[in-house]
Amino acid sequence: MKRLATICLVLVLAAVLSLPAAASVPGELLIWTDGERAPVLTEVAKSFVGEYGITVRIQELPFGDIRDNLAIVAPTGEGPDIIIGAHDWLGQLVTDGLIEPIDIEDPSLFLSSGLDAFTWGGQYYGIPYAIESIGLFYNKDLVGEDGVKSFEELIEISEGLQAQGIYGLVLPQPDPYHTFPFFSILGGYVFGMDDQGVLDPLDVGLANEGGVAGFEFFQELMDAGIIARATPYDTMMSLFKEGQAATMMTGPWAFGDVRAAGVNYGFTQIPSYKGQYGKPFLGAQGFMVSSFSENKMLANIFLNEFVATTETMLAIYEGDPRPTAFLPAAEIINEDPDMRGVMEAASTAVPMPAIPAMNSVWTAWSDAIELVINQQSTPKAAIENAVELIVQTIKDSM
Amino acid sequence: MEVGKLIKIIFLGVLNVVFIWTALFLYSSQAYWVLLLLLLGAALVNFVFISEKAYPYRYLLPATFFMVLLVVYPIVYTVYISLTNYGTGNILSKEQAVAQLQERSILDTEAGNYAYQAYRDGQGQLHFVFTSPGGELFLGYAGGLTPVQEGDPRLVELEGFTELTRADLVRATNEISALSFSLDEGRQLRMRNINSFGVYRQQYEYYPERDELLDLETGTTYRSVQGYFQAPDGTRLTPGFREVIGFQNFRKLFTNPQVTGPFLRVFVWTIQWALLSVGCTFAVGLFLALLLNDPHLRFRRFYRSVLILPYAVPAFISALIWRGLFHTELGVINQILKATIGSGVPWLQDPVWAKVALVILNLWLGFPYMMIVCLGALQSINSEMYEAAVVDGASTWQQFYHITLPLLMVSVAPLLIASFSFNFNNFSVIYLLTRGRPPIVNAQTPAGHTDILISYTYRLAFESGRGVDYGLASAVTLVIFLITGAITFLNFRFTGALEEVRKNV
Amino acid sequence: MYRKHSFFRALWRHAVLLFFVVFALFPILWVISASFNPANTLVGQRLIPSNPSLDNYREIFTSEQYPIALWIKNSVVIGLITSTLVVILTAFAAYAFSRFRFKGRRTGLFASLLIQVFPQMLAAVSIYLLVLSIGRLVPALGINTHAGLIMVYLGGAMGVNAWLMKGYFDTIPSSLEESAMIDGASPFQAFYMIILPLARPILAVIFLLQFIGTYSELILASVLISSSEKYTLAVGLQLFIHDQYASRWGVFAAASVLGALPIVLLFMFLQKYLVTGLTTGAVKG
Repeated sequence: MKRLATICLVLVLAAVLSLPAAASVPGELLIWTDGERAPVLTEVAKSFVGEYGITVRIQELPFGDIRDNLAIVAPTGEGPDIIIGAHDWLGQLVTDGLIEPIDIEDPSLFLSSGLDAFTWGGQYYGIPYAIESIGLFYNKDLVGEDGVKSFEELIEISEGLQAQGIYGLVLPQPDPYHTFPFFSILGGYVFGMDDQGVLDPLDVGLANEGGVAGFEFFQELMDAGIIARATPYDTMMSLFKEGQAATMMTGPWAFGDVRAAGVNYGFTQIPSYKGQYGKPFLGAQGFMVSSFSENKMLANIFLNEFVATTETMLAIYEGDPRPTAFLPAAEIINEDPDMRGVMEAASTAVPMPAIPAMNSVWTAWSDAIELVINQQSTPKAAIENAVELIVQTIKDSM
Repeated sequence: MEVGKLIKIIFLGVLNVVFIWTALFLYSSQAYWVLLLLLLGAALVNFVFISEKAYPYRYLLPATFFMVLLVVYPIVYTVYISLTNYGTGNILSKEQAVAQLQERSILDTEAGNYAYQAYRDGQGQLHFVFTSPGGELFLGYAGGLTPVQEGDPRLVELEGFTELTRADLVRATNEISALSFSLDEGRQLRMRNINSFGVYRQQYEYYPERDELLDLETGTTYRSVQGYFQAPDGTRLTPGFREVIGFQNFRKLFTNPQVTGPFLRVFVWTIQWALLSVGCTFAVGLFLALLLNDPHLRFRRFYRSVLILPYAVPAFISALIWRGLFHTELGVINQILKATIGSGVPWLQDPVWAKVALVILNLWLGFPYMMIVCLGALQSINSEMYEAAVVDGASTWQQFYHITLPLLMVSVAPLLIASFSFNFNNFSVIYLLTRGRPPIVNAQTPAGHTDILISYTYRLAFESGRGVDYGLASAVTLVIFLITGAITFLNFRFTGALEEVRKNV
Repeated sequence: MYRKHSFFRALWRHAVLLFFVVFALFPILWVISASFNPANTLVGQRLIPSNPSLDNYREIFTSEQYPIALWIKNSVVIGLITSTLVVILTAFAAYAFSRFRFKGRRTGLFASLLIQVFPQMLAAVSIYLLVLSIGRLVPALGINTHAGLIMVYLGGAMGVNAWLMKGYFDTIPSSLEESAMIDGASPFQAFYMIILPLARPILAVIFLLQFIGTYSELILASVLISSSEKYTLAVGLQLFIHDQYASRWGVFAAASVLGALPIVLLFMFLQKYLVTGLTTGAVKG
């Protein structure tokens, strides 16, 4: 009985090690997308079938699951040919061998920063369809039609508003992504570039002179009551919507909410300080090709001919209004002042680093911000500790 | 033949058809090991249903089948994974990584693009005419290239074949992109996009005997080390691959201070959490049960029905509701506190208060269950014992301590231990109320102050910002399994012992 | 003298009980009140909403982006099917453990108890791949199907459930079946016609416990189900309210009320079995 059990166990183990890779169908394209882009892609698929007779299947997944699911499923052969994804996934996806370089027929049709975001080792790994960065929402009733152009201006205006119990600025906290402009405005950066134009994971510049100065400025604004302390995203929204905050620093995803609340708002770029513009992170979303695809060339054709068109890009924009990275479509879309504002905001943005080392940055950085918000540490000490920890973590994982 | 036997034969017949069908599928998928298992299983099932001696096993088969498939197999898989480095950076199998690296070719951009025409002859074979950037013509067929001049008879021959239109090219893309034509010393012509072919050079060559990869451009040799191909100077090639690394994950778990530190803290809190949960719910539940057990009390049924209500609300809904109630800025609890004692409490932001919030939530969720159980157990205690004790002059406290408690513990102890075990792994409550936050600073692995082992492991495997580490997560999973298994094991030993005590009372 | 004493004793007892009544009821009442409050934010909540309306409930049934009513239906259906199947599977197994003497009886029961202690949710990757493979053979049981999810839950059927049921079966004297079998009934018929009816309390308890467990299960459901209209309530609600407390509280409250309803109803329906089932089965008699 025992022997039988051991034999069975061994067999099970062996079976585990040899799960077969059934072919993902050659001659057919499978696309993984999220609920927002699925309807558009389904329509595009129909045209593709019509023109070439090649089936395109669309599978819907929650956006956040696509990257990790690809890692699990693609090597088994059950994976998709094309996925949508965020540019900062490149680090993991490329180093895990999960995506292929893409041949873009006409790069001049795209916003260069969008293409940059999808460049790795000098090759394009994705076709961008949307770019975004955070910017400044402002309440026109409180700060006027043109909003606030510099932090010096904001400080002045806030002094008047404080008497009414209104905050000058709110942003989600503690959130490094949203707080980055304060670090970058005076010269801080996450990863420096080496002489080959590749990001150097051991050159972390958050705690350099500019970074510390910016972080201290952030704390000053909080201490002066201009920035509300410890406001998570939904509290921030509440305050701005109720008119308790003159400006709000967040991204275009908030348009819907703000409009629905009936606030008389405007959207523009992050204010400047001492003449330097605040640089938020640029995020890009795009289409990528799986390296386990049996139809790589076909995928390239589909993307270049059917997706990189004004029609499709406009349809994608309509399904989920994010600023487009496709220039011909941008001309039409930017008639909308909000979209124009977002492009403005993105013009001073810096692509979020996509190298795998970026993953090691968030937690320690966020903790440093939290400590400063809770007044448990000085900005200099907090961010220096965080950077030490980050560099150590990166070294350990190399 | 009686109905029963007929049914049995039909049932077995259907099962066997399913086995055969699955076997064929597995055979065509080349999953030979699974096929073997299936055949063994089929033999077993048939034996059980035919042999009279195996009659009892027929009742066990359905439940056991599901358990083996969906619990035992994942356990085995987890054991396997815990011995590998499977995780971000090491996702592919070695063969896949090698295949990818070998496929990697460098596009010679200076050589330019070659335009082409494709033709299909009578036997369905593809012929190509390439035009180099310099205007030279080449005939491409069966992997070979032949330079030709305008007017060459072979070019004329092509006009008899079917020229592929653009649509045809798209449909034949897979076929065409698989072709390559030798240009010269290690350079190949391959499809670059729908309009042209490009010149490619292979970058790596793999030598299986030495398990090494040679970079054909730079001449560097890469050796296979711990899931990566590594050069002598330490640089690693990506992609990495998953490899069995033995007990390294376990070693890391117990010796690497940046992993052990948070792990121990989480472990200690997990035990505290389970003890506090059981302790508080039991204390309150028992207390209420004692109050409600009093036959002189009025409105007993009202109290009982109302106090049981929290148990009827699904735990995940309750956790989410309480999260809203504990909201620092806008939650009701802080509103009330602000109104009464002047300030709120940073419930979910402060490490200590977050723990308090969790205990309060779990108390709310759990006291009704304990109350019912204690009520039931109290009612089964023979009232004659109390009468005897009163006669002997025992006080209420003495009655409680010497009669109620011991007899209560006999019935309730196993449930208490089970509750400890349940709370030890109570993922939902922790995850939904605090997600394990507030975070522990300076931890290399993402651990929070309110993380218990299971939520910590979950975040390690599935939510880690720095990529997932399935190997380490599987190791921790097995540790959790061992601990809770041991608790369960002890529970049943203990219960057995208590049973003896009860019989002697 | 005695009466006065009695009065104070009664007073403090009622005071304590009322305190716990408030503790138990206050979140529930608050949520019910919020569900009728059209303001939908956490800000400025009162116990009795100033202008009650059914807006939030309407939103649950009509929202396209968050089809909460559909999620509730999914959870109920999956819960009912899973619990029924689990009760059947477990009853068979428990009968064997209770009535038959066979090799591996004690070790089998013990082993299945220990095996079930394994936190299945942490093996989500292996289960995902497994269901993926099964889905190739039988598409109806693959990823993103309710049937596949139910199948995974059935893996956890045997275990504590079987032990509780066996304990209860043990309390039913076997003389009843013996006399039936003398009259020519097969063991199966004895099981079906005698034991099962008598075991109603424990069957009800297992059904209820399993339903509650399945209804609340979060991780496996979120791993295996990927399209929004197939989510269970646990998965969907969690995504819906994540970090959006301030602005979605009203709809969330309505969803909580409706979402808790199936279990509350089932609970009241099966309440009488609960106490007996829990204590009798647990204590091997």
